[in-house]
Amino acid sequence: MSTSTPLGINSASVIAAPAGKYPPGDLAIWLFIYAELLAFGVFFLSYAFARSKNVELFNQSQLLLNRESGAINALVLITSSYFVVRAVAAIKEGHSKVCANWLGAGIGLGMVFVVIKLFEFSAKFSQGISLSTNTFYMFYLSLTMFHFMHVILGMVILAAVMLKARRGGYTPENHTGVETGASYWHMVDLLWIILFPLVYVIR
Amino acid sequence: MNAIPHKPHFVRPCTRIWLALIFLTAVTYSIGDAGLGGTPVMLAVLAITFAKTQMIAAYFMGLRKAGLLWRAIMGVYLATVATMIAVAYLIAIK
Repeated sequence: MSTSTPLGINSASVIAAPAGKYPPGDLAIWLFIYAELLAFGVFFLSYAFARSKNVELFNQSQLLLNRESGAINALVLITSSYFVVRAVAAIKEGHSKVCANWLGAGIGLGMVFVVIKLFEFSAKFSQGISLSTNTFYMFYLSLTMFHFMHVILGMVILAAVMLKARRGGYTPENHTGVETGASYWHMVDLLWIILFPLVYVIR
Repeated sequence: MNAIPHKPHFVRPCTRIWLALIFLTAVTYSIGDAGLGGTPVMLAVLAITFAKTQMIAAYFMGLRKAGLLWRAIMGVYLATVATMIAVAYLIAIK
């Protein structure tokens, strides 16, 4: 029987998951992902509750952020994540080189994110803004820098996977490495999807 | 090396999800750009964010095919973060 989701995706092609089936990639990366999500979750809620004691300061400081660069970076990471989904699909279909190319495109967009973020940090530092400027900027800089480091690590992981894929190191039957790198990269994307509205938009 | 046969898609499900994510990000940005604030706007932005993170988790991270426990951990995490952020903002209004 075929059902359709609100997005019009036919679920007939989705294989029902047996109970306890592991998500794609190495089990260890998922334990790592959930630990990372927990750390960021505490960080997000610390920001939200710190704001509740200092609403005016947070609202005024937020207006000085470059919302455009935050939004562009959200689009960049979402698209990069999509390219990595295509890389996983390609290796499942047995196309190693295509997989490597999609990964290369994903890493390229990761670099775009890094460059935009560096410009943003540079603009803030040149205005004399630092971690000790006020509570908002302490959170803004530490949250975005913590996330920035995860982007760098994600790009290193994807680069290692891409090089192996280019050498034909993965097959449709054995491509756990591609899924492991992809899962980590999607987590980096997911975190920015929360961080962007939280720090740049909601007031 | 055997390629796994698959049903060809004119538009792959992941492409639909990507387009939906792009659209919802544009909506979020527009809300910020218009300078909108207040409880309904905050709740709407959080609802959009929750929907986006669920899409990433289910379709990009592949959790929709994983076991209940793995899906539940992510679902509870995302719902808790969104709810607690809403609570923190509502406390600030009162």
